Amino acid sequence: MLSKITSFALKGLEGVPVEVETDINKGMVAYDLVGLPDAAVKESKERVRSAIKNSALYFPVNKITVNLAPADLKKEGSHYDLPLAVSILKASDQLSADTDGIVFLGELALDGALRAVTGILPILISAKAKGFTRFVIPAGNSNEASYIEGTEVFALGSLRDVVDLLTGEKAFAPVAQRSFKAAQSAQKYGSDTAFVRGQKVAKRALEIAVAGGHNILLAGPPGTGKTMLARCIPTIMPDMTFEEALEVTKIHSVAGSLSEEGIVTMRPFRTPHHTATVVSLCGGGNAKIHPGEISMAHKGVLFLDELPEYTRRTLESLRQPLEDRVITVARAGGAVTFPADFILCASMNPCPCGNYGSAYLTCSCSPAQVQKYRSKISGPLLDRIDLQVEVDGIKYDDLTGESNEESSEEIKRRVERARAVQRERFKDEGTMLNANMGEKQLKEYCRLSPVCENILRAAFEAMHLSARARSRIIKVARTIADLAESQEILAEHILEATSYRSYDSDKI
Amino acid sequence: MYTKEEENLIVLASFEALTAKHLNVLYSGFEKTLPDFEKHGSFLIKSVGEGVYNKIRSNFGSLEYRTRLFNAIEARNITCVTVFSPDYPERLKHIYNPPAVLFCKGNVNLLKDRLFAAVGSRRSLQNVLKQCTAVVSELTGAFTIVTGLADGGDTAVIEGAKKSGKIISVLAYGFDHVYPAVNAQLLKSIEENGLVVTEYVPSVPPKRFNFLERNRIIAGLSEGVLVVSAGKKSGALNTAAHAVEAGRSVFAFPYSLGITSGEGCNALIKDGARLVTEAKDILDEYGFEYRPEKARELTADEIKVYAYLKEFGGAYVHVMAEELEIPAYKLIAVLSMLEIDNFVVRLGGNKYSAL
Repeated sequence: MLSKITSFALKGLEGVPVEVETDINKGMVAYDLVGLPDAAVKESKERVRSAIKNSALYFPVNKITVNLAPADLKKEGSHYDLPLAVSILKASDQLSADTDGIVFLGELALDGALRAVTGILPILISAKAKGFTRFVIPAGNSNEASYIEGTEVFALGSLRDVVDLLTGEKAFAPVAQRSFKAAQSAQKYGSDTAFVRGQKVAKRALEIAVAGGHNILLAGPPGTGKTMLARCIPTIMPDMTFEEALEVTKIHSVAGSLSEEGIVTMRPFRTPHHTATVVSLCGGGNAKIHPGEISMAHKGVLFLDELPEYTRRTLESLRQPLEDRVITVARAGGAVTFPADFILCASMNPCPCGNYGSAYLTCSCSPAQVQKYRSKISGPLLDRIDLQVEVDGIKYDDLTGESNEESSEEIKRRVERARAVQRERFKDEGTMLNANMGEKQLKEYCRLSPVCENILRAAFEAMHLSARARSRIIKVARTIADLAESQEILAEHILEATSYRSYDSDKI
Repeated sequence: MYTKEEENLIVLASFEALTAKHLNVLYSGFEKTLPDFEKHGSFLIKSVGEGVYNKIRSNFGSLEYRTRLFNAIEARNITCVTVFSPDYPERLKHIYNPPAVLFCKGNVNLLKDRLFAAVGSRRSLQNVLKQCTAVVSELTGAFTIVTGLADGGDTAVIEGAKKSGKIISVLAYGFDHVYPAVNAQLLKSIEENGLVVTEYVPSVPPKRFNFLERNRIIAGLSEGVLVVSAGKKSGALNTAAHAVEAGRSVFAFPYSLGITSGEGCNALIKDGARLVTEAKDILDEYGFEYRPEKARELTADEIKVYAYLKEFGGAYVHVMAEELEIPAYKLIAVLSMLEIDNFVVRLGGNKYSAL
């Protein structure tokens, strides 16, 4: 007898329906699994056999043929255990319930218990879009599934429960809908700008960076609080919307790094070490393509500490995603596109010895050495970092203690206002921030008065700025004007923007 | 275009084995116009060895060598100013071992101008460099400035004089080389807008002791030398020593205690060098009238910030913001404007200093 059960495969973040077809014939005892299964799927044979037996059911001693259709799509992961088991039970007439339109996902333990799997959320979202509304998933994934509206999801503990549900022997309540609530900044993130004393310039730069979506480079001697400042970025970013949270959760679900909560409520803050490879940063993998750090940082912050220590190849691989805000990872098995819309925050020492600009120690580097160190970061990459800021060369110890610094909450309010201004401005051009402006928008929204033009020209001469700094300065000035809620870009905005250009200068 | 005497001299100067000293001996301090191999041959053999000496003699007589040399000089657009040429600065003739030939690229007429040297060491403070640029820029009203090409002090000097085109950079190696490599672009711009001078043929690479030799030309060309920054053992001090030897005036920036890059300057002042804090100090000495550029009128905030920096020398933005009670973002804009107009200089780490 033949049975058909629906399950899903993941291609990047996209779910693709997979039919699990089982046919049981008389003949030599055999159990064949076809349809491009990978190692984990092949091994499921043994898990399914034991799970069925230990659930007080009967594993047929016949010739069993299982096909996973479409046959040309590679099937990976352990979530085919449950559909396989159900399919065999149906084919062997132990289960006669109607399973049409139900999507089965889950890994089986030998005793028949259901284990949580990765990638549930993106599968659910894709399946819903394709018209599936009923799901059976492991109990461990229930939180992840509780945010999808208009679905009936049963999160069960074992194969026995699944059979009981289908036969109606026992009643189970579907997973209750939960409403999304973004993490409220500071308490949860554990950082707050109020904890960082001084560093007024850097904090202001962070505010501008977040308001306009600009990437930022923090340069300063070791131990001056660069990392601490970077950690404050998520706390001043606007709260995640539900749509953003779903997008982020999809990626984290595929990577299998979701917490108990089942949904990502905090903006990601990723800190790959400088030994990171291109693949770990951009995504890749042999059979199953995993999202890289830049996708894990989607809608959050990618923090690259000690930027010049990363290999050139690694850094250059960031250029395209920084521009397009997505990354397409192509492998022999096909190409997958992951979103990668993040704020890049990089930090570096100002010179090889690290003391350039320090208040306490003298720098022992010659100008040529400093220049050489800084030139490790290529021009095209620097071009994509709108704000290049030096942090104050003071010791961290001097920064702690009594002070009345602005809290993240206050800065966040200003950021939200500036973002509202940008939403209004770019409403006909899709969601966009100042940092993403192209030449056309620059011309349209950033017209400079003759006074500003003159100041900019004088600044270029006095500060030895390179020509490519120009559009960057104007973009940043636009954001500063938005923060000041000014329609026009004024002289003071241009002037402030020119000061965030430390690493553009031709000269040290 | 070169006279026979000049040609001979250029050929002799092209032999790397022969230094300015040898040529001075060979021409009896350039009182003669022909080399006297008969009289000084034995001295040369003792100094450079017989093999080299014979090679020099045979190449000196070889027409082929001569053609090759002048073709090479022409191909590189080099003008040779020999000690027999009317373009050769009179002042330079009177130093110990004057260079026989100056290989020049750029505007040779600058050699006839009134010349003043400014030199500084490679490790100098940012605000001093900025001040140096400002002072030199004012000096160009009266002088053409002579310096080297090192980064740090020399580069700041060039920065100040470049715009007027009144800059002479003296190299310690031939035109086929650039040292330091980062200044390749700068060197090119001086060749185009000013003058680059060296006593070495194009093939001579940078060698340590040549830099000290070169310093005698910097000092020798100039009426006086300003030492912008100098550590205890510094090339700039060597230039000052050459200047004293040649009877030129020495000027120096003063430094506060404990700044290593200024110890040499303070030592010079102790020994009688003129203390310089502004261009006027030098121009007065040479009888030039000092006409300061009219400064722009400052706004209320700018006056406050500038006065604060003047009082404390240098300060961090966050400290100033608190003390002056100006919000940081406003202060940043004010400081940028002051920096553009050369009232303040930005040091590393968000620290600013007044000029």
